[in-house]
Amino acid sequence: MDTEAFPVSTNIIQFPQTWLATATQAGHDRATRHPRPEDVHHPMPTPATSPRLFSRAWSGLLLLILTFLIVYPTGMLLLGALTDANPVVDGFANMRLSLDNFATVLANPTVHAALANSLLACAGGTALAVIIGLFFAWIVVRTDTPFGGFIAAIGMLPLFVPPLVAGVAWAILGSPKTGLLNTVLASMGIGFRFDLYTLSGIIFVFGMYYAPYIYMFTASALRNMDPSLEEAAEISGASAFRTMFTITFPLILPAIVSGMLLSFIVMLGIYGVPATLGAPANIPVLTTYIFQLTSWSPPRYGTAASVAMILMLVTGALVVIQQKVLSGRSYVTVAGKAFRPRTLRLGPWRWFTLALAVIYLFVVVVLPTVALLIAAFRKFLYIRNFDALFDAKQYSWLHFDRLFSNPATVDSIINTMQVGIATALIGGVLAFAVGYTVARTQAPWRRAIDVIATVPVAIPGLVIGVAYLWAWIGLPGGFYGTIWILALAFVARFLPDTVKVLTSSLMQIHRELEEAAWLCGRGTLSTIATITLPLARPGVIAAMTLLFVLSIRELGSSLFLYSSQTMVMAVHLLSYYEGGNFSVTAAFSLVQMVLLAVLIGLTSLATRRATPMDAASGLGRAG
Amino acid sequence: MSAELAIRNLEKSFNTGKPAVDGVSFTIAPGEIVVLLGPSGCGKTTTLRCVAGLEHPTAGEISLDGDLVSAPAKGILTPPRARNIGMVFQSYAVWPHMTVRQNVTYPLRTRGMTRAAMDAAVAEALDLVDLAIYADRPVTQLSGGQMQRVALARSMVYAPRLLLLDEPLSNLDAQLRLRLRDDLRRIIKRTGLTALYVTHDQQEAVVLGDRIGVMQGGKLRQMATPAEIYNRPADQFVAEFTGASSMLPCRLARRDGEFGTVEMADGSTVEAWMPAAPAIGTAMVLAIRPENALLGAAGGSNHFTAKVHALRYQGTQTIYELDALGGRIEALELGTAARHPQGSEVSLTLPPALTWAYAAAV
Ligand SMILES: Nc1ncnc2c1ncn2[C@@H]1O[C@H](COP(=O)(O)OP(=O)(O)OP(=O)(O)O)[C@@H](O)[C@H]1O
Ligand SMILES: [Mg+2]
Repeated sequence: MDTEAFPVSTNIIQFPQTWLATATQAGHDRATRHPRPEDVHHPMPTPATSPRLFSRAWSGLLLLILTFLIVYPTGMLLLGALTDANPVVDGFANMRLSLDNFATVLANPTVHAALANSLLACAGGTALAVIIGLFFAWIVVRTDTPFGGFIAAIGMLPLFVPPLVAGVAWAILGSPKTGLLNTVLASMGIGFRFDLYTLSGIIFVFGMYYAPYIYMFTASALRNMDPSLEEAAEISGASAFRTMFTITFPLILPAIVSGMLLSFIVMLGIYGVPATLGAPANIPVLTTYIFQLTSWSPPRYGTAASVAMILMLVTGALVVIQQKVLSGRSYVTVAGKAFRPRTLRLGPWRWFTLALAVIYLFVVVVLPTVALLIAAFRKFLYIRNFDALFDAKQYSWLHFDRLFSNPATVDSIINTMQVGIATALIGGVLAFAVGYTVARTQAPWRRAIDVIATVPVAIPGLVIGVAYLWAWIGLPGGFYGTIWILALAFVARFLPDTVKVLTSSLMQIHRELEEAAWLCGRGTLSTIATITLPLARPGVIAAMTLLFVLSIRELGSSLFLYSSQTMVMAVHLLSYYEGGNFSVTAAFSLVQMVLLAVLIGLTSLATRRATPMDAASGLGRAG
Repeated sequence: MSAELAIRNLEKSFNTGKPAVDGVSFTIAPGEIVVLLGPSGCGKTTTLRCVAGLEHPTAGEISLDGDLVSAPAKGILTPPRARNIGMVFQSYAVWPHMTVRQNVTYPLRTRGMTRAAMDAAVAEALDLVDLAIYADRPVTQLSGGQMQRVALARSMVYAPRLLLLDEPLSNLDAQLRLRLRDDLRRIIKRTGLTALYVTHDQQEAVVLGDRIGVMQGGKLRQMATPAEIYNRPADQFVAEFTGASSMLPCRLARRDGEFGTVEMADGSTVEAWMPAAPAIGTAMVLAIRPENALLGAAGGSNHFTAKVHALRYQGTQTIYELDALGGRIEALELGTAARHPQGSEVSLTLPPALTWAYAAAV
């Protein structure tokens, strides 16, 4: 996402015209703000062929692909928002431009309500996430709370849970009538009842599940902070409390704000949680409302496109602000220095902080898991009282049998795997090409390639879905309704995250390694094949798994692009939920979670490093 | 105001390995500047941080003006904020989210001063370090040397009892370092603060310190005036660390007060200064600085002939490697011309007061 932060300069592919420019601007490493001597390159002899033509053709090809994947569908979305025709019914021939859709949308009270609900839910969720995430970052990085590393690791788990599954689990726990929590309360004779089918319910789940996101941002800022900044305050006479509020927090403020904006953006695009918790009580948010518009008959594609545009504009504005915050005042990064973070000795209070951490982990990991297990394995979800919960006779594989006896289930799993593999392969190759070109070459139009590849950050999944719908539904050729349209939409949607993972692993490969191969007489492509790719392998595997995992979870864009032949797991799961069968839904959720866990586990093994942490940052963004 | 710092048997062990500071004792008189000098990892920073209260000593006592501030045996540990000490960090630790003035005012805010008194103190401190015109700049827009002076102003603005400086010049380029080194001593002396200064740069130590303490492996090997460190190094480590590059094995033949005669491997005898009094016949090491090995004829004792084995011409001076006394001795000759070619015979004089003998390590 922060492509801005990547040092942009290298000349692996040599272009005579750019030598001079390279030598002067090369290697302005933003982290240290000092040019390093090894970054300054000297002109090297060029191969006899015309590398300039080749690089032009290459950049042109990339731009063409990106246009096809990103620019064209977004353009069609805009066109769709501005037309009064229905592409399915009328075709594109008699399309007329008008602002009617926007006028209708802006005058529609449901849109106002949906917008207000969206903003409220996201603001509330973000606030809760900041409180929890910041507190955890502080506990783990700055105090001697026992089991800090364990807390941090387990605390990341929520990021791996698809929002839809989280929504399902909390619906099972907190539905006002049959919720498990309420059953327990009733059997304990307590009058209080939880009701998560509310805006506060959505806020609660948002806050709980996106706290790790804030944690990631702030913990690394805290960790990278020069401890002497705080020591200086303490020596100056400030108390620990005063130091925290006048020095520590102001210093990591950019990280906090940027994490806040990012989680707000992510929440704004989520469909699964409001669909599960908001729908029963009829609480519309932008995402659920957009989908509603397209499922009416006749579908209101034009209106949906304009609401999607609104969602995209809000998101885009937030992304721009976030980038500004991130690049503007980052005090914290001090290059190449390892700090030993100061740890505060809490004394007996460390058991209190540990207890808070355990409570959080219990609420966010244990409770939902238990709820899914109970719902999936109990014959009847109705539980008379607390004791009935432990009646072994009540448990069976019944719902799993029912789930798999439905041929659509197996089909959806197969479809999902196919889409996942296609997405991972296409997306992996494209992201490598983009990442390498932008970060490592002097190819023309790199900046444009970089910008276009980053644009999807600002496009929620659901909006991509609507855009692809508009882009392909009216065209002959039957592309709409195949698994390819799903795969390409996913590739477009997750391109920024994939490029980011790949670029950071490319950055770890020192340029001189490539230059050495190049001096040995290898060409650019041969160098990439023999040096760069093998060295970047962990990054490539991580990026491809990330894509695979993300596409398994992706709900927002799938909703608009699946057909009866290409039903995917996430959509199938939602239809079970909406059909009202909690037990089978829970069983299917568990299947999906196990699949994800196996995948992520296998990749960590294969790359022998902390892939989950890399992946987590991308996972958080997926709706 | 300026206080006396007394450290007694200070010991600090981390979880790993041998103690980082091992039984260090010294006293700094009010207004005195003491420099701790030593190779990397010898425990200088740890000592300083124990005095600041940022590190908790495992044993020993630290007192300021007679108040015990750290005494683990008695359960005393005054937190840093209550010690009234100023500290300049190696990384400066100026707060990047504040202006110069905000940085320097910060320590005064918790001291219950009036606005006017604060402003006056800040203005005075900024004047002292020549930063008055930069007062309202964000510190991120300052050069390294200016940041360093902000850190200095911030640490002195509240007239602390003691000023601690941890390699404050090490992040600056060589030229600036030379200039600030002189400025620093002038500024500290003008305020009359007691100061403890840590560095691994000998030149800095000599210019800045009223006294220098040489540390090695967590122990204080010698604490004395710069002249004494250079002319009377207390042991072989101090001699070697401060630049005695020639070490020759020998055996004690005769002893006469502070001086004695040692017998070299080739049988010649050398008169030398020796701080300890080992038994006759003990194996010793003769230590000589290249500057103190004089080439050419001179009267008096310790007069030898040597042969030039090799020479290293360095522009304004030449270092000769001489075969003499059954070993190799480095001698330095100033001047842009090297007078003695390789292989030639030269006469060598070793002034007894600047030729030191130490008991050989076993
Ligand atoms: N927090 C710590 N935990 C464990 N060991 C430490 C810690 N701080 C310092 N040490 C060890 O204590 C020893 C002394 O460290 P110290 O920082 O005092 O050295 P120094 O003399 O300041 O060196 P330098 O000139 O490199 O700054 C070193 O061996 C170091 O590894
Ligand atoms: Mg140090």
